[in-house]
Amino acid sequence: MGKLVVVFKREYLERVRSKWFIIGTVLGPVFFLLVAVSPRLFGDNEVRSKELAHVDVIDGTGTGLGARVTAALHETYPLSRAPNLRVVRPELVPAEEERSTLRVQHADVLGYLVLDSATVAGESMGYAGRNANASGDVEALRGIVRQQVLAEQLGREGIDASKVAAFSKVRLVAHTQKIGDAGPERGTGIALLLLGWAVALLLYMMIVIYGQTIMRGVMEEKTTRVAEVVVSSVSTDTLLAGKIVGVGLVAITQVMTWIVLTILAMYYGAPLLIGRAGPGLVGSGGGAPSGMPAAAGAGAEALAAGLPVIPLWAMIVLLLCFVLGFIFYASLFAAVGAMVNSQEDVQQAATPVMLLLVSSVIFMGPIIANPEGTLARTMSLLPTSAPILMPLRMALVRVPWYELVGAMLGVLVSCVISIWLSARIYRVGLLMYGKRPTVRELVRWVREAR
Amino acid sequence: MSDLAIDIRNVVKRYGDHLAVGDLTLAVPRGTVYGLLGPNGAGKTTTIRMLLNIIVPDSGTITLFGASHRAPGITDRIGYLPEERGLYKKMQVRRVLRFLAELKGVSPRVADQRIDEWLERLELRTPERDWGLAKVDELSRGMQQKVQFIGTLLHEPDLVILDEPFSGLDPINAQALKDAIVELKSRGKTVIFSTHLMDNAERLCDSVCIIARGRKVLDGGVAEVRRAHSGRMIALALEGDDASRIAPVIGDRALVRRVDDHNRYYELELADGAEAQEVLRRVVATGAAVQRFELVLPSLHQIFLERVGARGVEEGVTGHG
Repeated sequence: MGKLVVVFKREYLERVRSKWFIIGTVLGPVFFLLVAVSPRLFGDNEVRSKELAHVDVIDGTGTGLGARVTAALHETYPLSRAPNLRVVRPELVPAEEERSTLRVQHADVLGYLVLDSATVAGESMGYAGRNANASGDVEALRGIVRQQVLAEQLGREGIDASKVAAFSKVRLVAHTQKIGDAGPERGTGIALLLLGWAVALLLYMMIVIYGQTIMRGVMEEKTTRVAEVVVSSVSTDTLLAGKIVGVGLVAITQVMTWIVLTILAMYYGAPLLIGRAGPGLVGSGGGAPSGMPAAAGAGAEALAAGLPVIPLWAMIVLLLCFVLGFIFYASLFAAVGAMVNSQEDVQQAATPVMLLLVSSVIFMGPIIANPEGTLARTMSLLPTSAPILMPLRMALVRVPWYELVGAMLGVLVSCVISIWLSARIYRVGLLMYGKRPTVRELVRWVREAR
Repeated sequence: MSDLAIDIRNVVKRYGDHLAVGDLTLAVPRGTVYGLLGPNGAGKTTTIRMLLNIIVPDSGTITLFGASHRAPGITDRIGYLPEERGLYKKMQVRRVLRFLAELKGVSPRVADQRIDEWLERLELRTPERDWGLAKVDELSRGMQQKVQFIGTLLHEPDLVILDEPFSGLDPINAQALKDAIVELKSRGKTVIFSTHLMDNAERLCDSVCIIARGRKVLDGGVAEVRRAHSGRMIALALEGDDASRIAPVIGDRALVRRVDDHNRYYELELADGAEAQEVLRRVVATGAAVQRFELVLPSLHQIFLERVGARGVEEGVTGHG
């Protein structure tokens, strides 16, 4: 026990004292804050082109819909250059489209809208342009056209024009509320999503960074031959344990410091940044009734609403995820470090472990899209990805307790296996120089160690 | 309390099909300087690692100071300087030393005191510069060797194990190391070191054990071993350039088993059943002018060559297997 403390102390203090640790810890929150607010600094969060309204509107409907759309576009995007209206007979629409195509090619306009009889019937509209793949842009245009088609129809039904104008300005902002077993939970859905995403990413990041720190540390001890002296004083098991605990606590220290600094930065730094980005934010939601945080960016919303309250049990699960996930991967990384003798070898040897880790984050997208699906369920139960993906799922949906317990037990068992395996590889590999072992030799190491 | 520092009995260690150490039995009395001699790959490093409980023998027992070598705390009484040396490159020298001492159970305060003493003694701390505050990789190789040596002795071990301590040492550090070994002995410590340099061993060791291919060839006090092999070695020196004249005599395998030809000075090993007098008579008969003809105690080097021969030196298998 005494020796474990000595090893642990060295691992912890040497790392916490290092220049890069201090720089990383201090700059971390600044970086996170920038990530959180940069969408606001670079324009609004709905990622629409600034020149969205600078389009040709080809109106082959003969109803005046084009004029309405043109007016609405101009009104909604006052900062953009104005749209050009072309009212033509239906049979001339194709010729007009060709002209507009050329204009788009010459960058005279961003694109063109085609309104025809199908549009009036509420079925379809056409849009072609440089931003036709930007779903945010197309969605915005569709919304405006849809509203004007509706207004047109209401007008035809004899509803007074001023009322139609008022109706057509109705905007709906979705305010969401997640409800759990204990009733409504604080924080909006988007904030929880962000939180789950951030936590999963942070777990992944810390495991990758500090797992590799362990790997490099083991390799350093091996290649500099310090291990020769050290293992004459302390068993390899104690050495490995002290390393994992020491480096793990370095990671926890860093995250804790980040959290504290980020909270401080939010209270003192965020208002400044967001305040400055304000006008751009309001620009897109100009017609919203006052008092509603219209189109408030997700990041800002999370900041404004404060972080959702995380119940104690969830915090424990989170900590468990980190501790177990870290131990699992750290011991594997340590084994890799003990296997190799050179920087060239280590990248290759670490690939299987990295693949396991990466496989958990590449599924984050699909899991966010469908957190109750089979993929999400499987990946959040699989011991190799559970520590990273379970917290993400927990933020999105209510995970049954037995799945939670099952996942944690699975990770725990995998931890025991990986520690057992790694300790044996470590024991033999640490003093074994020469070429990298083949898989067969590795099996022999594991079987013959002690 | 046992008067043996090390008592190894019937220890066997195999790596797959390779026999690293076979049925090794040896005893090292307290307070002696003991040499573990053998060519590369003879099993010296493996034996030392088993002593230190880094690797476990397949069979046999190892006793240190009368207790099992696996007894808790026993390794705290051992100082070990491995053949492959190195330190944490980015760590401050003092912190490395404190770490090594603490691993042996020395309190940080006591460690700091001893570190100061040692740094001054080995001139790593002078009025101009305190290398203890530098990082390890700022030190020259020679200085790093000194630091490593300090790390071996900081906890004042009763048993000091030095694996090929002279390899890679510059002459000044080699001298310092030799002095330190003598001083350790004078303070009643036991020193065991492995080497393949017989000259060093002959001058420094009280007792030796020669091993080859994992097996013990012989062991005992240096003087005894040499005496046991005496009477068979002849030192022969010629006055002039008469080498060609005596060539048939010393080339006679019925008379001389082996010749170490130093040009005008020869070391002859008598063939079985041959008499020294016969050799002298035949040499004189050739008319060569003899300057010296003497029955001598063989050097460890010669005994080693005689007993191990070229056979044991083959195969460059290192001890790190």
